[in-house]
Amino acid sequence: MQLGDARTGKLANNMIGFGRALRRAGLPIDASRMVLAQQSCVLVGFDQRRDLKAALEAVLVSRHTDRLVFNELFDAFFRNPDIAKQLMAQLLPQHKAPTEPKRSPRAQEALAAPPPAQANKPNEPQTEEEIKLDAAMSASTQHRLRHADFDQLSASEFKLVERLAREIPLPLPKFKARRLMPSARGDRLNWGRLLNEAGRLDGEVLSLPKQRRRLQPLPLLILVDVSGSMERYARLMLAFLHQATRHLKRSVYAFGTQLTPLSVAFEQDDTDQMLLHTNALIADFGGGTQIGASLEDFHQNFRNEVIGRRTLVLIISDGLDTGDLSQLNNQLNWLSKQSKQFVWLNPLLRYDQYAPLAGGAQLLAKYSHQMLAIHNLDSLEKLAQALVNVTSKPLPEHK
Amino acid sequence: MQSFESVGYFPDRRLATAVYLAQALNRPLLLEGEPGVGKTELAKVLAQITSRSLIRLQCYDGLEQREALYEWNYAAQLIHMRAAQAERNAEQIEQEVYQSKYLIRRPLLRALETPAPGAVLLIDEIDRADEPFEAFLLEYLGEYQVSIPEMGTVRAQHQPITILTSNRTRDLSDAIKRRCLYHWVDYPERDRELAIVQNRVPELSAQLSEQVTQFIERLRLQPIANAFTRSPGIAESIEWAKALVALNTLELDPEIVQSTAGVIFKQRDDVAALEPLISDLLAPADAN
Repeated sequence: MQLGDARTGKLANNMIGFGRALRRAGLPIDASRMVLAQQSCVLVGFDQRRDLKAALEAVLVSRHTDRLVFNELFDAFFRNPDIAKQLMAQLLPQHKAPTEPKRSPRAQEALAAPPPAQANKPNEPQTEEEIKLDAAMSASTQHRLRHADFDQLSASEFKLVERLAREIPLPLPKFKARRLMPSARGDRLNWGRLLNEAGRLDGEVLSLPKQRRRLQPLPLLILVDVSGSMERYARLMLAFLHQATRHLKRSVYAFGTQLTPLSVAFEQDDTDQMLLHTNALIADFGGGTQIGASLEDFHQNFRNEVIGRRTLVLIISDGLDTGDLSQLNNQLNWLSKQSKQFVWLNPLLRYDQYAPLAGGAQLLAKYSHQMLAIHNLDSLEKLAQALVNVTSKPLPEHK
Repeated sequence: MQSFESVGYFPDRRLATAVYLAQALNRPLLLEGEPGVGKTELAKVLAQITSRSLIRLQCYDGLEQREALYEWNYAAQLIHMRAAQAERNAEQIEQEVYQSKYLIRRPLLRALETPAPGAVLLIDEIDRADEPFEAFLLEYLGEYQVSIPEMGTVRAQHQPITILTSNRTRDLSDAIKRRCLYHWVDYPERDRELAIVQNRVPELSAQLSEQVTQFIERLRLQPIANAFTRSPGIAESIEWAKALVALNTLELDPEIVQSTAGVIFKQRDDVAALEPLISDLLAPADAN
């Protein structure tokens, strides 16, 4: 009996293992999908690897985001029988063994857990193992991580927290748009519908259909400080905002010593891909801070982003600026006047006694309408609540 | 696959497999992808190959059941009622008024009633319709039957092959994705695009169409730093090829690229970003 021989009847088992790995990577796959996958295997046959792959992809993947992970996991599971070759290569001292292909973090994680396909052992030890895995994220850990400062996490904790941050929802405030929609609780008559219905009923008016203005989320402008002191927060906030504002109109810019538009990177579906692209785009990651100069660049080249005093501006910075203060003063003044709400997200608020003393911080505090903390998961969750309250408050007076 | 190519559509193997499975498993097929990669075209071609009739439902914001499924012809009913008022009683009139001749059939109902071999139902740009409509569609795609209170249930005689397309302006609900097979339509690789361009614009010389596809492919492969807001799709390549024919072009040079840039890109920023790249994109092509 050869390894991987289909006649041994391992295939169904392997398929389920594959499905479970996909599920671990976050693809929504239920039992009925698995049944469908097996059916499609039978229909397509196993002669052609690429046909099988296409078939499984059509059945199991339902989001563009998941395609990358699927491809990598498929390649990992249904490998060419080249493994033998690789082993041979390892035996030869002068020949360098081909390294494992680089995989995306999601695929790696899904593979890192024990693949159930290998479960020839009795069932029990395996389930125990799985329980252990779950225990890694027990309630107390979660509680600790919720309140831990981002800057004080170990590398692995940081990764975990970054994952968790992606799950936090961020409902943005809405404003009344120009268009109308029918609504039972509307404040004006829907004349079109009223006449239509009257026409159907031979001119009788039996009900008064109403309509109201449609609600639309505020456009969002995000300015992220990527200087050395902010590096960790910036990365995490980018990951968080990327997922939380997925369906909204948003524009994103990073600034350190210069301004970098990030909207191209934000069009990526996968957050890990987005971060990779962001890294490639930002030339001054972890460098100095010149907020004034960067904002002036924004003012000159991208001022259309904040047209109509409707934009919600989030500036993520610690306010430790090394640039020209009068320039910063002018630019902040302009920006805060253009925006509906100008919110300063400040990681330094983790200190109880924090007061904006540095020159840049003073100006930011003067012009921002709100200052909110973002140094741990707990504060990110509160951020969502604080932003919703934005529109219910009257607009602050400008100085 | 060959039957696809015989009508001038060049799918890759993945897409052909997905279409085959959709037919074999009787599932709707959800196509997503960038604009202009031939999602809608697939449905048209599929109808041609299977000699079924194509029924298209274009989705838009605010699409309602009565525009997608059926609607009573109220005006005609009203006239009939008025005319019959004197002679018949209410019950008779009611019976007469709810007849199939007063029913205006919209695409989804028509797809069910199409005689053998059935229809190809194209539900285009479903992401434009709102979520309640999606929920309604869910029921329809699950059972392929519709109940009209006044007339009874209409069941599909021959199940339509259903193709849904989406441009991903928003995410579709998981429920509808569960019903469907999913396929992401990619930009075609160069050989396939070459075949498409040559098939669609046969007037274009072989050498030039090769240049065109190479140029477009390089455009799409631009690194993210100077990526354009929107990469050109196949539709744009074909348009561009036609434009070049119209201008009697013999060979691509920077000047002609610049003057026809408006065909490839529809945004001022993109056209501007193209300018410094043109010579780079063209140069190695000449070396070949």
